[in-house]
Amino acid sequence: MDNRSVILPGDPLPNCSAACPVHTDTRGYAEAISEGNYEKALDLLLQANPFPSVCGRICHHPCEKECRRKEVDAPVSLRMLKRFVVENTREYRRARRQRIEPTQGKKVAIIGSGPAGLTVAHDLALLGYHTIVFEQDSQLGGMLAHAIPRYRLPLHALREDIDDILAMGVETRTACRVGVDISLEEIRKKHDAVVLAIGLSESVTLPIPGSESEGVFPGITFLWDVANGHPPPLGDRVLIIGGGNVAVDAARTARRLGVGQVFMACLETPEEMPAWQWEIQEAREEGIEILNSWGPKAVLSRGGKVAGMELKRCTRVFDDHGRFAPQYDEARTMTLDVDQVIMTIGQRADLSCVKETELAVERGRLMCDSHTLSTSEPGVFACGEVLTGPGSAIHAIASGHRAAQAVHHYLQTGERLVLPREDVPSLGLLPQRVASLARKMTRREAALLDPRERIGDFSEIESPFNEREALEEARRCLACATGARLESSQACAGCLTCARVCPFGVATVDRTAAMPAEECQACGLCAAECPAAGIALKRFATNQMKQTLGEILAPARAVKIWTPFLVAYCCLYETTSRKYLKPQSLEEIEGSGILRIMVPCVGRLSSLDLVEPFEMGADRVVVIACKEEGCLYMGSEELLGRRVAHAQKFLKEIGLEKASLQFRQTRGSAEASWPAIWKEVQHETAPESEKESLK
Amino acid sequence: MIVADQKPFHEIKGFVEAHQNILVAGCGTCVTVCLSGGAAEARLLASGLRIAFQRENQNKTIEEDTVLRQCDEEFVLPLLQRVKEENIDAVITLACGVGVNFLADRLGHIPVFPGVNTTFYGAVMEPGLWAEMCSGCGQCITHLTGGICPIARCSKRLFNGPCGGSERGRCEVDPQNTPCVWQLILDRMKQLGRLHDLQNFIPAKDWRPALDGGVRHTVRERIYRLDYKNP
Ligand SMILES: Cc1cc2nc3c(=O)[nH]c(=O)nc-3n(C[C@H](O)[C@H](O)[C@H](O)COP(=O)(O)OP(=O)(O)OC[C@H]3O[C@@H](n4cnc5c(N)ncnc54)[C@H](O)[C@@H]3O)c2cc1C
Repeated sequence: MDNRSVILPGDPLPNCSAACPVHTDTRGYAEAISEGNYEKALDLLLQANPFPSVCGRICHHPCEKECRRKEVDAPVSLRMLKRFVVENTREYRRARRQRIEPTQGKKVAIIGSGPAGLTVAHDLALLGYHTIVFEQDSQLGGMLAHAIPRYRLPLHALREDIDDILAMGVETRTACRVGVDISLEEIRKKHDAVVLAIGLSESVTLPIPGSESEGVFPGITFLWDVANGHPPPLGDRVLIIGGGNVAVDAARTARRLGVGQVFMACLETPEEMPAWQWEIQEAREEGIEILNSWGPKAVLSRGGKVAGMELKRCTRVFDDHGRFAPQYDEARTMTLDVDQVIMTIGQRADLSCVKETELAVERGRLMCDSHTLSTSEPGVFACGEVLTGPGSAIHAIASGHRAAQAVHHYLQTGERLVLPREDVPSLGLLPQRVASLARKMTRREAALLDPRERIGDFSEIESPFNEREALEEARRCLACATGARLESSQACAGCLTCARVCPFGVATVDRTAAMPAEECQACGLCAAECPAAGIALKRFATNQMKQTLGEILAPARAVKIWTPFLVAYCCLYETTSRKYLKPQSLEEIEGSGILRIMVPCVGRLSSLDLVEPFEMGADRVVVIACKEEGCLYMGSEELLGRRVAHAQKFLKEIGLEKASLQFRQTRGSAEASWPAIWKEVQHETAPESEKESLK
Repeated sequence: MIVADQKPFHEIKGFVEAHQNILVAGCGTCVTVCLSGGAAEARLLASGLRIAFQRENQNKTIEEDTVLRQCDEEFVLPLLQRVKEENIDAVITLACGVGVNFLADRLGHIPVFPGVNTTFYGAVMEPGLWAEMCSGCGQCITHLTGGICPIARCSKRLFNGPCGGSERGRCEVDPQNTPCVWQLILDRMKQLGRLHDLQNFIPAKDWRPALDGGVRHTVRERIYRLDYKNP
């Protein structure tokens, strides 16, 4: 029953996972965090993506855009949770590294060490291939190392991911430019397959008057030089041409180099700008002035050096079919006095390495089939941005995974693998009628440094979540489709109890009960009340508790245990650290006489759950719920209260004393209030005989 | 639906004091619906019995099992099997009285004890509340009374109008929870435009089809003793 939330083949994915190009088990890692199992969360992250540190910093997080919680209030801060995981599992991560022996007897060369290339190397190494990555630069990582500014992606974060990959035994040749230092043909001869993952490393230039002037920089070159510690000298006024993310990065980088006035000019209106809205917002906060709907007309120069820029009004960027087809009002112009101009209007591949090879190139693009990832030459594949065009790191990683599959297939069969079109069924929107009944919880945003402080240098501007923040945010996950399920229609008597207790109006009965997975909010109330005990919950089954109790209370061990022995069912949503979330050691349990059972909302405990510990040898049971009116699930508090009363009455009939089963609520934090509750319940009105054995 | 209430714990426990291997048998139909004898209750009762006997240092085996209906041979067979195979020496059934009898008929020397008191045929008035609606008298007269039964729902089972204890439409036996059924019948007949029918005297009932006439049976010729099954 562990791994309850594991996605089975054919299951519709939660929207977050479906939206993620590598289908990270987002729901799974949010759940693992809320259970205090950060290591499991890391395992889940690494299963899908060898770059969790990078993505925790700079992923454009399509998962959040699709998060079903947005129907309730706002998406879960999934990227920040991912960042929390990697930052709190460093030691574990180092320890789990493993060298993989190449057992396939085949060698694969990968050209380019960006996220795409390194992902291919990672996947193929896992499959037992000998992999070698060729990189023209001295550093691995592609744009991650050279273009994305350090204030967003510090080098050490990238290093963590890359070190993992290298530890597997992936070989690298840095400062080796294919086409110059070694020919592609030579590489092909020495390897069984070759993957081109060379990205788009050149900036597109603009053939406008004055563009050759001194002080006009291609954006990528500019960022690359800054990243490598060779920033060009800049004046006090700099203009960036372009409205995409690279433009914003260039502008914010210039600002950090001490430029007093940084402008961005782009064709698009504010709404049309291709840069992420949050990037634009942050740039504005840093004092960058954005000139919308202005296109470049000419670079003005004085003595061969940039003196200013003439801009013309852009009246429309896209035609009626949404294609890029800018139109201008040539009569409306403006000039801007600037000392430098940085061009960030697009990127293209540097295909010099395939020159004088058989590989087909058409109109400056490498010919490659997007379904098989094959180039015109057998055994030569392409992936990442050179294939897909400009995108994001996580898309490049996804493309790397696909390429590894294609190469593996080719090396095993000699044939091309036609990769199926990615078409993942997802859960779809959370219906409004359900969403409106869910409790609203404020989304925690990443905390950014004050803009004035930010522009001082290239230090990272975003602070990570602390543990309390991460736990709180992880609990906002709706745990989509991990709720109730009718175990067998045979068990169902159609009694309607589930429908009557469901606070979300999700459970219905038509001959037998149905709890549609895409609507169920996983509160567990129906399962707790089902008189046929026929509803299972995908999350939290008490059988683990039974097993632990069984072990501890096995007669041979019982002598060592302090009595009275207390079983404490605690609402895990109240913890602010993993102090009490971590599994207890047997010694700890025996020493304290307290067994904690962390439950994602104690409202899901059935009467049997409340009574059974006594059968297994417990002397006391306490149910510690959340703070008053703090429950995620409407009605849960009331139903639980009644259930506890029912169980208390039953226990009394059996002959147990009144104090045996108690209901308490957390005050303040779990860490602050639980120990006192445990002690109280354990000792309160304990019969004399029991008291003697207490410490 | 048949409604039942679980017996007090000590009474149930008392039945099996002298036994060793006990089976608690839940029933998956009526008593599940009225939350008194389904799988959840069977497990809870079994757990309670284990706790109680453990506390008295009595070492007993208590198992539980629930079948879809305890009033059909096919469904109870697995229970009978278990009793045999696991050397069960007493059965507590949480089914209605039908289940108790049905099992007892089939279990020879193994005693079968009732875990519930079977109370009535009733309906859910609101979630969690059941009310009696039929007494199974064997000869329905509700066509005369607007569909409302004066046998099941009148404290005195009066056939021809209310008694003096009908006050403001309530029954004097339990005015808070019980309406006077004759008030209900009156209102209903008015609604149906048949008030005048109540002037017809309802003769004394022939109680023979009820329990008074002896044990009742029903045969459905359509499926009864199919020849090809019993050559
Ligand atoms: C300024 C900027 C900001 C970005 N910000 C983000 C962001 O915030 N979030 C996000 O998700 N994505 C962002 N991206 C996009 C992301 O960086 C890319 O999608 C990703 O790096 C593409 O990966 P790739 O492996 O295809 O290519 P690259 O990362 O471009 O890697 C290609 C590698 O191949 C090497 N190479 C090329 N030719 C040769 C040769 N002949 N011999 C040897 N080596 C060669 C290059 O040196 C380079 O290292 C940004 C990109 C830029 C430019």
